Amino acid sequence: MAQQANRPLPNAYQLDEYLIERQLSLGGFSIVYLANDAHGRQVAIKEYLPNSLALRGEDQICPIVSPEHQAAFRYGMKCFFEEGRALARLSHPNVVRVLNFFRANDTVYMVMEYEHGRTLQEFIQKHQGHISERFIRGVFTRLLNGLREVHAHKLLHLDLKPSNIYLRTDNTPVLIDFGAARQTLFTDQPILKPMYTPGFASPEHYTSRQDLGPWSDIYSIGASMYACLSGGAPQAADERVKKDVLTPAQMRWGGQYSDRLLEIVDWCLNLDHLERPQSVFALQKALVASAAPPPSKAVPSWLERVMGKLKKSTVK
Amino acid sequence: MRFTIYQESRQGGRQNNEDRIAYCYSREALLMVVADGMGGHFYGEIASQIAVQTLTDNFQHEATPAIDDPFRFLQKGITNAHHAIIEYSAKHGLKESPRTTCVACIIQDNIAYWAHAGDSRLFLMRGGKVVAQTRDHSRVRLLMEEGVINEAQAAKHPDRNKIYSCLGSDQPPEIDFSRKTLLENGDILLLCTDGLWGVLSGEMMAVALKGSNLMNTVPMLLSQAETKAGAHGDNLSVVAVRWEQSYHDEENQHSVSTQTMALDEVTTRFDEFGRNPAYKTDLSDDEIEKAIDEIRAAIDKYNPKK
Repeated sequence: MAQQANRPLPNAYQLDEYLIERQLSLGGFSIVYLANDAHGRQVAIKEYLPNSLALRGEDQICPIVSPEHQAAFRYGMKCFFEEGRALARLSHPNVVRVLNFFRANDTVYMVMEYEHGRTLQEFIQKHQGHISERFIRGVFTRLLNGLREVHAHKLLHLDLKPSNIYLRTDNTPVLIDFGAARQTLFTDQPILKPMYTPGFASPEHYTSRQDLGPWSDIYSIGASMYACLSGGAPQAADERVKKDVLTPAQMRWGGQYSDRLLEIVDWCLNLDHLERPQSVFALQKALVASAAPPPSKAVPSWLERVMGKLKKSTVK
Repeated sequence: MRFTIYQESRQGGRQNNEDRIAYCYSREALLMVVADGMGGHFYGEIASQIAVQTLTDNFQHEATPAIDDPFRFLQKGITNAHHAIIEYSAKHGLKESPRTTCVACIIQDNIAYWAHAGDSRLFLMRGGKVVAQTRDHSRVRLLMEEGVINEAQAAKHPDRNKIYSCLGSDQPPEIDFSRKTLLENGDILLLCTDGLWGVLSGEMMAVALKGSNLMNTVPMLLSQAETKAGAHGDNLSVVAVRWEQSYHDEENQHSVSTQTMALDEVTTRFDEFGRNPAYKTDLSDDEIEKAIDEIRAAIDKYNPKK
């Protein structure tokens, strides 16, 4: 079946106690709307609507799920609940808050806090390559507070990327969209296979899923920091495993940013998950320590990579 | 101690494997466990996993390196597992607690001790014959003993899977204990679920295993049973050990010798706890409502409205 984009609910649609204002985003598994609650407060509502299983045509409200997809649709719903459960238990200023959860239109909805601001993705696009070190350190240190809370609940985000990092107007970051956390459950359902954003997913996202761990989210953090420096996504990990052409941050921006910060970026982007910071705490510690010596592990591995690259290029 | 051991669990024709098996040994003691989570009960494999894990965890604490009182160990382990299952279902608000059978055996000082609840079996085989076996806690077995039905009728009896003792039910399990059984060199102890003994008789397996290499014969028996049971066959699981306590030198490359183990060392083997994620995907309307209520309760608890 060709993948078709689902139609969003119409603007001004009354959904339970909420009035839909407009669609905010459309993903493979869900649609996110901006809406107003009964008190006129703005909220974001995520509608469970997997593209490949449920179809909502024009002028329809309830999506159509064919009988052969019914089981998978329900299964995906179970996973949507997992996301809700996980998020509901988290209460942290740097993690999006869940406000409500309800059933309507033959599917389910999760209501989340909506705040004014923009995604880090938008911020990067606007400031192409002119993001200050202070900004990067400030945003990521706080973001890691949120991620630490997530990991402390034995959850992995697994889809960290600049477009899932929301910046409030005062530039404090909020982690949004935990869709991938539940999608880990989908691996045996090919029709629901998770889709990763190239550049931000770790090598183990693609191949050895049993190796997924805090270090996988840390790879994505490294890639997001790299994107702040370069203005775009780094080379995708599955490509890097075949042929690594990613210039280490230390080589590319040496002198423009502190060595310490660049080392941390390269440390996080190590292809070998054991060579990365193993916990958010370790990474945070490195990020706040101003000019301490680099972690001993990072140096040889980075050097080796540079040496390897130089060797490769001389052969060419 | 010296022995050869083999364990394997297969899904058969079922959607999910609710059997769990494990063995572990210290320098002086060996524990083997087989548990068959009950079909029809939700999350049967959770019950069997708890049973196996409770016993192996206890073993790790108590085999230092010998176990003080093996029968007491088995009794306590199985009872603890029963309570752990009930606690689990209370904690997770399960309407009905998951259930499992359990058969466990300890070998220490050349003596075997075993206990069971339900219809997972232990066979002691010697010289190609079954010399001892557990008696199932099933009505069919009772009927057979009373002479009401014969073996062939029992094999086809509609209630052949019904048991009156198990872990996780409202009634505490009825546990049967063996005698202290002195093992001879070459003895085979085979613990299995009904997925195996229901298809291949103990006698047949004893003949097949006589003098053969466990590592090859046991998987072969499993394959045979699987084929015989057909496309909808039950899960089938086995732990089998050949006792090789002897002082003549017949080197067997697969045998385990615990001679060189440290006094506080315990080796444990069991399969990872996992479930086929595609299993039981049907989500009823009730379950959806329940999940939503749960999430709302969590929101109220952790993120009360400002």
